[in-house]
Order: sequence, then C-alpha cells, then structure tokens
Amino acid sequence: MTLKRLTGVAIGTAVAMAVGLGATSALAQSQKKISIMTWNIPYFEEGMKKWIDLYHQKRPDVQVEWIDKKGTEFSTFYQTQVVAGTAPDIIDIQGGLWLEYASQGGLVDLTPLMQRDKEYTAGLYPEFANGWRFEGKNYGVPFYISKTLLFYNKNMFKEAGLSGPPQTFDQLMQYAEKMTGGEKSGLMTLNFDWLYWPFFAVNGIELVTPDLKKAAFNTPKAVALVERLAKATQAGVINKISWTGRWVEPNGAFAAGNIGMLHAHAPAYFWFQSKGPWVNADTVGAANFPGGWSTPNSHALLMSKGTKHPEEAWDFMKLATSGEGAFIFGTGSNNLTGDKAANARLMKYFEEKIPAVVPALKTQLENLDKLVGNWPLAKDAQVKEAFYPELQAAMMGEKSAKEALDEAEKKVNRVLQRR
Amino acid sequence: MTRYPKWAIHLGLAIICTLMLIPFYWVLKTSLTGENIFSYPPAILPENPHLFYYVDVWYSIPFFRYLVNSVVVSIIVVVGNVVLNAMAGYALTRDFTGKGSVIMLFLSCMMIPFQVTIIPAYLITKELGLLNSHLGMALPLCSTIVCIFVFKASFDAIPKSLIDAARIDGVPDWMIIFRIMVPLSQSAIATNIILAFIWSWNNFLWPLIIIRDNDMQTLPLGLARFLTVVEDTTGALYAFCIMVLVPGLMIFLLAQKQFIAGLTSGAAKG
Amino acid sequence: MAFAIRKKRTRELLLIWFFLAPSLLIFALYRIIPLLWNGVLSFEFWSPYKPAEFAGLYHYEEMILYDDVFWQSFWNTAVFMASAPIGILFALVIALLVDTPIRGRNVYRTIVFMSYPVMTVAVGIIWQWLYNEDVGLINYILRSLGMSGRGIPFLNSSTYALPAVIVASIWQVVGFYMIILLTGLQNIPQSLYEAASIDGASAWQRFKRITLPLLRPSIFLCFVIGIINSFTNFDLIYVMTDGGPSHATELLVTYIYRVAFKLGQFDYAAALTIVNFAFFVFLAWLANRLSGGEAGAVEST
Repeated sequence: MTLKRLTGVAIGTAVAMAVGLGATSALAQSQKKISIMTWNIPYFEEGMKKWIDLYHQKRPDVQVEWIDKKGTEFSTFYQTQVVAGTAPDIIDIQGGLWLEYASQGGLVDLTPLMQRDKEYTAGLYPEFANGWRFEGKNYGVPFYISKTLLFYNKNMFKEAGLSGPPQTFDQLMQYAEKMTGGEKSGLMTLNFDWLYWPFFAVNGIELVTPDLKKAAFNTPKAVALVERLAKATQAGVINKISWTGRWVEPNGAFAAGNIGMLHAHAPAYFWFQSKGPWVNADTVGAANFPGGWSTPNSHALLMSKGTKHPEEAWDFMKLATSGEGAFIFGTGSNNLTGDKAANARLMKYFEEKIPAVVPALKTQLENLDKLVGNWPLAKDAQVKEAFYPELQAAMMGEKSAKEALDEAEKKVNRVLQRR
Repeated sequence: MTRYPKWAIHLGLAIICTLMLIPFYWVLKTSLTGENIFSYPPAILPENPHLFYYVDVWYSIPFFRYLVNSVVVSIIVVVGNVVLNAMAGYALTRDFTGKGSVIMLFLSCMMIPFQVTIIPAYLITKELGLLNSHLGMALPLCSTIVCIFVFKASFDAIPKSLIDAARIDGVPDWMIIFRIMVPLSQSAIATNIILAFIWSWNNFLWPLIIIRDNDMQTLPLGLARFLTVVEDTTGALYAFCIMVLVPGLMIFLLAQKQFIAGLTSGAAKG
Repeated sequence: MAFAIRKKRTRELLLIWFFLAPSLLIFALYRIIPLLWNGVLSFEFWSPYKPAEFAGLYHYEEMILYDDVFWQSFWNTAVFMASAPIGILFALVIALLVDTPIRGRNVYRTIVFMSYPVMTVAVGIIWQWLYNEDVGLINYILRSLGMSGRGIPFLNSSTYALPAVIVASIWQVVGFYMIILLTGLQNIPQSLYEAASIDGASAWQRFKRITLPLLRPSIFLCFVIGIINSFTNFDLIYVMTDGGPSHATELLVTYIYRVAFKLGQFDYAAALTIVNFAFFVFLAWLANRLSGGEAGAVEST
C-alpha cells in the first residue's frame, strides 16, 4: 500500500514543518508598529530598507511593516483589513480609489499636519498636491508623479516624411493617418483610469458640470469627436488595443515597432524599452500632447483613519516623499517625485544614467496647469464604469457615437444621483 | 473494450493533444526566450533558448521559503480532503432522515462563489486565530464538495452484496470502510489527492488576503513580483508559472498509478 | 430484540452524523455564514467605514429596474453554463479514449490534464495573444490559409468575445472533467463488460447499456462542475478581458467582484450575490431532479 505509506510520511512532514515554522515566527511584538502598504513595487526592497534605516534615526523605537500588493488586489486586501480593524497605517494609492475612501471618512485629513509642517509642504508641487484634495481637505501627499505624454516612433515619422511631433489635434490625427498601413497603425493610447481624457480636453469637452452633479459631456462636439475617433479606430489609424488593452498589450505593441505614437505616461518608456532593443534617444521621441493637456497617473501616500500612531506615520510619510527619502525612491524606481528639490537631483541623476528617458521626464514637470481627468468625484470608480464601456462600444464600432453618449449620459447621471 | 484499431485511437488522441498543447507550448517557449509575444509573425521555434529566467525567478523571490509554505498548506489540504471527504462520502451512501437535505445543502454550498465570501471568511478566520497561519490558508479547502461526491459515487459502485455479506458476518462498520470500501476506491482517492493538491497549490486570493507576513507567503503570491509595471517580465512570469506547475504534474503522474491499479483483471496492460 | 435493533440504528446514525460533521462545519464557516452575512447586508446601506442603515429592497430594485449590466452578466452566465455540455462531451470522448489499454495513455492523460493546473494568469495572457487581431496565432493561421484578410478581433468584439472566452475556459477545464469521468470509468466492474461480451454485445451496445448508465453520477458531477465553472473560471475572464469589451464577457461573479471591491458597493454586491445564489441553487436543484432525484445515485448492480 504505497498510498498509506505516502500519507504517513506526508502527515509527519507537515507537522514537523509547521512546528518548525511556528517557532521562528512566534516572536512577541510589544513595540510600537506602523505599517505601510504600497502599490505594486515589490522590487523596491532595498530602497525600503534604506527608508526604514533613515526612519529609525529619528524614531528608533518604532517598527515598520511593509506590505506590497498588486493593483488588482490592492483594494480587496485593503478593504478587508479595514473591516477587520487592522488597516495599514499608510497606503500608497493611484487613480481615483482614494476618493471613495475619503468621501466615506476612511482617511485622515492631513491638512492640519501639512499646515503645521510648512517647510515640508512648501517643497511639494502645489498642482500635484492639489490632486489629492477632496471637499477642501488634503488627504494625500504626492509620492511619485507621472502624467500622460506622447511617445513617437522616429523611424516611422521619417518614413512618413514627418519632421516633429504634432502641435494640434488635427495634426495628431493627420500624422497618425499618414503612418498607417499594413501592420502599422499611427496612434495608440492607454485607456485605464481616465488616461485618454486629453483627447476630450483638447476638444473642449467637460465630463461633468463644475458642481460635479451632472454629466456635461453629451454635446454635438463630443459626438463628432467620438465619431472621428471611432472611424479612425475602424480604419486602423488608432490601434484597437487602445480601447481594450491595459498595460502589457499597448506597450508591447509599441515595442514591436508598429505604432507611430503612443499616448501614455512616462513609466511606459522603461517598459517598452525593456522589450524593444531598438528603443533609444534617436528612435523614440517624447512630446506633450497637443495643447499641453495631460492626465496625471500619480501616486500619493495617505493615512488610514484607523491608525493608532498618526504622528509616527506622518513622519514616515514625510520621509518617503521629500529630500533623501524621495531621492532614494526616484532612483530605486526610475520615477520623479512630488518634491521639487528631490526632482532637481533626480534629473541630474537621469541625465547621467539614463539620458534617453530625460525628454519624457521633462514633460512630466511641464504644463502643470493643464491636468485633466482628475475630478474629485466621490463615485469616481462608478462614473468610470458607467462611462467607459459605452465609449468602448462606440470605438469598437458596435454603437453609434450618439447612442453611446446618450446611454453613457443616462448612466452617469444615475450614478451621480443615487445614494 | 472497443474494436477500433489502435492507430485510430492514437491518431485521435494525437490531434487532441496537439490542440491542448499549443497554448502550453507558447508558455514554455516564452519562458525560455523571453521574446515579445506581440511581435509578428510569431516565431514557431524558440530562438536561443536559455534558462536565465528560471534562475532569475529563483533569486527574485524567496522561492524556497514560499515553496515550503505551499507544501505544508497543500499537505494539510490533501490529508484533510482524503479523510474528511471519504467520511462524508461514506455517510451519504447510507440511508438516514435528512439525507436529501444534506445533499441539497452540499450542492448549494458549491454554488457560493469564494469571491463573495472574502470579508466574512476573513473575520471568521480572525476569530479562530488562524490569520497568518498554514492552517488558516488550508482550512477552507480541507473538504471539497466535488470530491465528496467522487467518493460517494465510488462507494456506491461497490456491489452491495459484498458489504451485506460482511455485515452478516458481523464485521463492524468502520472495519467495512477501511478494509473493504477504501481499498476498492483507489481511483477516488487518487482523484482526491490530485484535485485537492492542485486547488490548494494554485490558491491565490485567499492566501493573499489572510497572509500579511512575508515569511508565510505561498508560491502563487510570488506572482506579483513578475507583474510589475516597470519592465517586461513576461519571460520570468512564464518561467515562474512552469516552476509552479511542475509539482502538480508530479503528483498527477504519481497518483496516476492508482488509476492503473484500479483496473482489474481483463484489461490488458498497454 | 427490537431494542437491540434500535440501539444499533442509533449507533449507525451517530456514526453517519459524526462522519458528516467535519465537512459540514467547514462549509458552515466558509460558505453558509458568509452567505448569511451577504443576505443581511443586501437589505442595508453599508460600507467598511459606516454603521449599517436599513435599506429595505433598495438594492434589489436598483438591480432589477436600472442595472443593465446585471442583466447582461446574467445572460452571459447562462450562455456560459449552457456551453458546459460541449466540454463534457469532449472530455467524455477523451476519457473513453485514454481508458483503452493502449501504449502511452499515461502521456496522453498527462497532456490533456496539464492545462488544468497551469496558473490562470499565464493561461489568460497566452489566450489573449492567441486571439489577438494583428499578431495572434489564430489569425496568423487563418491568414496563412487565406481565409480572412483582416484579422478577427476575437476578444475585442461583442460578438466573438464570449464564445472566445468559453473556448479558452473549456480548454482549461477539460482535463478536470476528464479526471472525474476517468474515476467514474474505473468504478465500473470489468466483469460486466466480460459478461456482455460473452452475450455478444457490440461495443456500442456495451457503451450504451453499461458505461453510460454507470457513468451517470460522474456525468452529473461534471454538469455541476460546469455550473460552478461559470464562477470558478473567474480568474481566466478577469485576466483575459476583465469582463469587457463593454461587459460582453461579464459574468455574474466578475460583476459582483467588481461592484464590491472596485466600486466599493458591498451592500449592492451582497444583493447581487443573493440573486446569483438563488439562480444557481435553482439550477442545481433542477439538475439533481433531472439526474433522478438523488445526486450521484447508482442503481444497485
């Protein structure tokens, strides 16, 4: 009876291992402890150690726990922890997720702390800091920043006889058309969060009324725009992945060298460079989107309401988002931060180490007055759910632009009205 | 048992297997080359295959530590399944009042997707004091309804005359189970082992939710390391998936012997 | 004497419930209590941050009257489940083939089974690529055969996306079905076939009279798995399409998860859960009925 023997051995091993492991992890923890939960930066291990060392210089008695989760499971994990009363003290968030937490009272209002620590606050970019304001209160401090820009394939530009990046929206579409043919498409955009919104902003279209109470996008101008984009998509001028892919697919397609322009935020550069050996300063250019419009895809650090040690947590947040701590993060993750001084140092670092990415990074600090797609809507996620699938249907040619926008308007209004 | 010529069976199976293998082949190929799968036309054969990504995976995450955790959890789950499911499966072969309700209850329990139970299940596990523990990860999977029914069907197929004869001879119930029914249900046991192992081995969301301690993570949680947005890690991701797959296949191959053992006389061995 | 029989009967009953208890306890903790939690929540306004407030039928009303996505995912789920027999039939053919005493059947079994334990993330990404409009293998083959000019956007069209996802899911789960059916085949006493052979029954007759009836419990089990597959295959859809495009591949379970954890409407998700559960239980009950009243029963041989 091999099975019996196997089972016996198995039980024995399991018990032995469980006992062994239990013994090692059963150290009592009576110290003060804060925990920080980051958003998909598992590679930042070394930097995190440096942060904790720095932090211990100031607060040697506080233990720091680090948790990292992917974006897809981030909110599942976090909200479960909130319900159980064990939410991490500090969270690193991207997109509009925080608005829902803030509007329901799940986050600590950082305004008083920011006003108290004037020196720290003055070092931040006000435009990026304001992206984390809800109903007059600041809930987050900018951690690392990025916003959309236009990457362009210089080889394809040359082939099509184009000299530089497009300056207007019409030019953008014309250039894209010129480069399209065979396997090649002229244009691609990322679509998650509101990253495609510059296409609407450049045409003067607003998502909601200024009081954020009603949909405002269903105008003849918007219908015309959606029609135009949909037609371009059907003709292959805008690659279809624009409306269906998330991160790997669009960047992978650009890396394959068949896409003229990619509307994405700066970190995309590192990704498609890792996949396309041809990518360098001579072959890929970076420019602002026509009109200078862009959608931020920044991260901030926020504090959970349930924190038992707000002062200790705040110290850690300041450390991570300014000065040396911010510099450590920038070099460890190839990002710019929300701290002006750190960015000046980082730019020098990048010019020396990775000059090819500098043009893209420069755009990240320009036109900060033209950030769009970051409305402080408490139901941001739900509005997105109501809007995007309709837009997507129009782009895939399954609905007319008019039909899609009508339907989207109805749904968005329903979301904004219901409790 | 059929009269089809052997070559026809081989041909049919070869076609099916080819279809089944295509996606798998690409996973394997990409893990060996790290090529951009979005380039065109697709390369049929791997160019310059190497094992870099496999080594990379080993060092990128505490692979061994995660492996040990996965093994511990899976062993608990497999043992739990074989023992508890056999017990429940046996109970369901007997007649008793409320049997219909129990069966309906089991079927209903199958119809509750795990995703909707996350928060309450977490709170319960917290109450049990099993957060961050191997048992906590294993417990929800320790008895699975599909496998209970596998046992039940297997027990049901044992000729009643055999059991009745034993009863008349005064053999006690538990002896009937362990001396007659279990030995005659080898393939059900093998199925339990295979399925329970794979479910536990690939379990992702539950460990992700209840484990906070890095030392307690299981292998599938290592996945996050290969899905960052900074750079393309497709090659490593696939190498990782293959490395996670291997133990499952080994268990399958080992347990398969039981399928063959289950074949009684009359079947010529191939 | 009567007393002795009753005592024996009591002991037997005790044993039965003792055997059922551990499994029932696990299901109570991890299935039934969570379901009740959802039930209560579905009549409340609740979020992780706020105390609950009574909501009555608010969420159910919203679902039935206003939520198109709910209805769409409901129908998608129905289609998804209706496709289960295809996979089961496919698996049955394979199981019968690999149950014959031929050389190398272990290899065949392993290959067919192999797709099941592969981590879904990898499966999802590969199928995404297989289906890709421009660079995918399927379109590459179609083009090489001169069958289509421009690629078919399998996952990017509301017509093809659901069938495409179903094919991938059948690919993934067929090995699972095969195992269940193979186990069932092993339960059939070889002596029955021998007796039938002596009586001169043809292969088809033997299949129809012996294999099929005795395999019924396993086939029933496969149907149940087919039903639950429409939510255990959550991960695959999540990776391949995330319910898109425009909810064309949204199933009830992906929708519930989205509503709860991405949109933060736990109360509404709870109401969806309850409706989803009622729907599935009804189907299970129906399947149970159709299979002859008692799940997995076999006529005594």
